[in-house]
Amino acid sequence: MSYSVEDIEKLVEPARVHRKVYTDEEIFDLEMERVWGRTWIFAGHASEVPNGGDYKTFNIGSQSMLMVRNRKNDNISVFYNRCTHKGAKLVGDGKGCAKAFRCPYHAWTFDTEGKLLATPPTKTLETSGFAPDDPEYNLRPAAQVNIYHGFVFVNLDANAEGLHEYFGDSLTSIDNMVERSPEGELEIAGGVLRYRHDCNWKSFVENLNDNMHPMATHQSAIEACQGYAQDLPEGSEVPETVHILGPFGSSYDFFEDMSHVVFKNGHSYSGNKVSIHSAYPPVPDYVDAMETAYGKEKTKEIFSCARHNTVYYPSLTIKGAIQAIRVVRPISVNCTDIETYTFRLKGAPDEMLQRTLLYSRLINSPSSIVGADDLEVYERVQAGLHSHGHDWVSMERQKDHDQPQEDGSIEATGSSELPFRNQYKYWLQLMTNTEAVKIKA
Amino acid sequence: MSQYQRPGLKKIEEFLYHETGLLDRMEIRQWIDLFTDTGDYWMPVTPDQEDPINHISIFYDDRDLMEIRLRHHDNPRSHSKDFTIRSSHVLGNVQIASFDETNGDCQVSCNFQCVMYYRDQQQLYAGTCQYHLRLIDGRYHIQRKRVDLINCDAPHGSIQTYV
Repeated sequence: MSYSVEDIEKLVEPARVHRKVYTDEEIFDLEMERVWGRTWIFAGHASEVPNGGDYKTFNIGSQSMLMVRNRKNDNISVFYNRCTHKGAKLVGDGKGCAKAFRCPYHAWTFDTEGKLLATPPTKTLETSGFAPDDPEYNLRPAAQVNIYHGFVFVNLDANAEGLHEYFGDSLTSIDNMVERSPEGELEIAGGVLRYRHDCNWKSFVENLNDNMHPMATHQSAIEACQGYAQDLPEGSEVPETVHILGPFGSSYDFFEDMSHVVFKNGHSYSGNKVSIHSAYPPVPDYVDAMETAYGKEKTKEIFSCARHNTVYYPSLTIKGAIQAIRVVRPISVNCTDIETYTFRLKGAPDEMLQRTLLYSRLINSPSSIVGADDLEVYERVQAGLHSHGHDWVSMERQKDHDQPQEDGSIEATGSSELPFRNQYKYWLQLMTNTEAVKIKA
Repeated sequence: MSQYQRPGLKKIEEFLYHETGLLDRMEIRQWIDLFTDTGDYWMPVTPDQEDPINHISIFYDDRDLMEIRLRHHDNPRSHSKDFTIRSSHVLGNVQIASFDETNGDCQVSCNFQCVMYYRDQQQLYAGTCQYHLRLIDGRYHIQRKRVDLINCDAPHGSIQTYV
């Protein structure tokens, strides 16, 4: 079928959505155009391309993109990764450093600012009737690029609202992660984990603010960890592994207190006052470095903000207190790659990065005992939603208890399914907007 | 002359067959007990990765985490482990890279292919293993098993158990 606006409107109600939003390929294709083609998508971090000519490729749905640090002016550009001649993907997947980008097909060559430099053979060019100086032949930049504390975002729609307006006060979670560096700066470090999820991208995004699943989904990991800790000989030092896995076993009451804050455009975080990241043992050298940089009072304030996951809808989720981010790369309606990156807090001892990496390995790796049980439930959702027995996915919990705030955000208790309802409210707004995306700035 | 003799290749091969056989039979308790108290199992995420501490890895388990992983596997509510995991290792090109005559330690490498089956799906893991074997009371123990998958940096689904 071909979805009309009316058809799409029927898929989303205020507190439930139709299963087709997760399973229908046509909906996925429309999402790539209307959701991912119109919102601010995380490209990468500026520290991944520190020097002129450094680049990395990434995908926005089916669109291969190229992020590059310009050699001339040190700015970061994002281009469609497509030769403007016959359409070949200009740069192979991955990262590197380039003087210029030379297409492997006919050697059309572009500088790092995207300008077409060469179209051999030059000998017969003048009489060929082809004018390579037409700017149409330069690499096509993404309509909008903006960088927030080194986080590079792109928007493929020139008509879309600006980055600050789009993310609003949800940006305070990035602010907090940056402030956790004694020098106020972050740097991607320690590589990337890529974890393939055979599920729809939205199942992953929703789960990041799903406070009511750890007790069931992660019961086995929690019991394994608690059982091991209990059986340690008296007086043994508690392994850091236990400090990290343990809080996943917090009670329903604790996760209830890990309340939600949602913003317009689908963004949200949980752990408004307290979270499972609030009580890690302090690293003394790090605390000293922070207090020297900010003073005691301000340091305390920075550490008191230990939010759980913040969702920058639809492509990025961050854990400020852990300095790890997960990036959502949809592949198809039932396949999504999740990339985990970790940050070094500039000016902090190496121990901080090492803890971040331990956390990511324990929770976000393909070998994780936590991540594997999450993925198991996403895959069961993906399989279960093909059932003809029931068409609707319920998001009703605490629906009558939203607490709108003066600043436009809405708060809710931790068991509320407000973050999902908030995501679908925006999803519907985007998906029913049939106006053409404006590709050129 | 040192009290330690360089072992024959056959002795090393027998140890590796025993070790991977325990994995293939999912005898994880016995497998963990092959490691020294400070031993670890490492699966890097990039080729030639030098560091398991300051760089992310797919696996980097010390004995604590091995024990937790075993408990997780055995927990009836471990939903990602509802089905039997079956694996089959084939090892080849076994080499003793170095031998320390002061303590009997060996650095050993081999190539491997491991077919792992879980719930209707079969995965092929292949690559190179490096072992630091430590001789304790006349028996080999593992100080480190390093598993370099040839596709270490590819996106992976859940890797259900040790390879």
